[in-house]
Amino acid sequence: MTQHESASIGSVATVIDDEPIRPPENRQTQRTFVRRLTLHTILGGIGILFLAPMLWLFLASIDSHASWGIEWPHFSLINFRHVLTGSLLHSLWNSVVLAFISTTIASVAGVFAAYALSRRRIPFKGPLILFIIFSSGVPLAIMVIPVYEIFSKFGFLSILPTAVFLSVTSLPFEVYLMKNFIDAVPTDLEEAARMERASTFQVLRRVVIPLALPGIAAAAIFGFVNAWGSFVVPLILISPTNQQPAPIAIYTFLTLPKAQFGNIAAYSLLFCVPVFILYAVSARLFREGFVLGGGVKG
Amino acid sequence: MVSTAVVDTVTGPPLQELWKTRHDKTRYQWSSLGLLTPTFALLIFLFLVPMGIAIYLGLTNLTLIGPTAVHSSFTGTANLIRLKGDTTFWSSLWVTGIFIVGSIIGVVVLGYTLASLLMRATAWMRVVVGGIVVISWMMPAVTAGMTWYASTTGNGTFGTLFGHPNANLLDAQPLLVVTLASIWSMTGFSMLVMGAALRNIPSEAIEAAIVENASTWQRFRMIVLPLLRPTMTAIVLLTGLLALANFSLIYIMTQGGPGNSTNILPLYSYQQAFTFNNLAYGALIGNVMVVIATVFGVFYVRITARRI
Repeated sequence: MTQHESASIGSVATVIDDEPIRPPENRQTQRTFVRRLTLHTILGGIGILFLAPMLWLFLASIDSHASWGIEWPHFSLINFRHVLTGSLLHSLWNSVVLAFISTTIASVAGVFAAYALSRRRIPFKGPLILFIIFSSGVPLAIMVIPVYEIFSKFGFLSILPTAVFLSVTSLPFEVYLMKNFIDAVPTDLEEAARMERASTFQVLRRVVIPLALPGIAAAAIFGFVNAWGSFVVPLILISPTNQQPAPIAIYTFLTLPKAQFGNIAAYSLLFCVPVFILYAVSARLFREGFVLGGGVKG
Repeated sequence: MVSTAVVDTVTGPPLQELWKTRHDKTRYQWSSLGLLTPTFALLIFLFLVPMGIAIYLGLTNLTLIGPTAVHSSFTGTANLIRLKGDTTFWSSLWVTGIFIVGSIIGVVVLGYTLASLLMRATAWMRVVVGGIVVISWMMPAVTAGMTWYASTTGNGTFGTLFGHPNANLLDAQPLLVVTLASIWSMTGFSMLVMGAALRNIPSEAIEAAIVENASTWQRFRMIVLPLLRPTMTAIVLLTGLLALANFSLIYIMTQGGPGNSTNILPLYSYQQAFTFNNLAYGALIGNVMVVIATVFGVFYVRITARRI
């Protein structure tokens, strides 16, 4: 211990010895200043490059004469008023329906499985968990062609069956996330509830779900964002045009011969808003979740 | 009294009660099955069954329209032979490889750079730059594709930024531009995960290295990199999987063109199935993707399971 300490002090001493005769503090601050300046310049540069592609979206949405090019906008909010009408508004509503149904299915099914995988003795538990991890990494949307074939056989090419398939694409990750959160909930309260002869369902509803709520909410938000932004799955699986969600509407917008660029930008921006709000909520939930894990025990 | 009780337990019904509560064997609760059923039923019927169907479909002559749409038949290896001679498929595989590798390198390098620089930056910088990068990650693929299209086409932001406003970057370097867009849309995730892993590195290790006069590069190579390796491997695999399935971004930006130069496998599979109506052949190309995804997925399971 002491040997090590003296050795490290020795090496520090040699560093100082090597320095030329100049006020060391001054040199130090100067070097830190240059270093901090380079650091912030690099960060600023990356920030500008990341911001650049988004710039068009913001400027074109408030420009009454927007084009694909980047230009100073003729400020007006008319684009937002245009897109919140008729079939475009209906497409946003379809997105809400699609995302809500798929989130509900995935979260309800997922919380049961996550609880069982976290607490119960289950035959082949290890392989089941590995399968969940595997399918949470593999994007299940690549199954869309065989699913199309199944759905078209049964006449399922509409919004509700599509919502079920979208729930499956986020289900494994939701199970994995919720299992990790339930693992962190102490078992004491659950055992107390068992003593009072609470049923499995009551234990889940009264004890486990309230305690793991931040994790469940975070998982549900993941499912919602996944279904909300999904493009290829509804493109292939939803055939009635009046059931198509907002991403398809945006795509249709682009293919029109006389595209209204301001409207497209305004509509896309509105389409992004729920995602940004939900991200902000989930970031806070994660922070609270980590606090909760220790807080319950005390 | 005592002896009769013993006899009772040996011969009478209480013995069976004892059997039921054996403590040397694992006991399962039947309600567990009920809890697992919804999830695994969904995964079986909408993941494993379609996977089996896809394997079969790939070996048939099923089409989207026409007589073989209703009465398709098993054609064995005919599609496989076709796939072997299909130059578009091989070029698509190559393009997919470049797209995936490019995305992985960009996402890992940029994610690490941002995470480590932001740790030392001012709070103000952290909020602004971190916020911009996270927003670009959260943006839905359709919007990201559209806004990247607008910024890289003629008169777009990037051309104007670099002093060639009329240059159509997307037409000039399509694969490079879509790869950059893909990196842009995934760096936020890598930055957040990498940042969390960097904060978990004990500061004593770094301080000890500074005391030992290790250079910045040595500190990175000897301490940071080994401690960060599991996180980096997870990011590499997840980025690869997401890039492999990144249909929306490229479909919006280029639709696979010009001339198949950005035609990654999911786009080619979609094109064969729904544009050329060869549903079976499209499914076969999808199966190639499943094989690639399975390889990535198995490695992902191995590193994730090690951490549990």
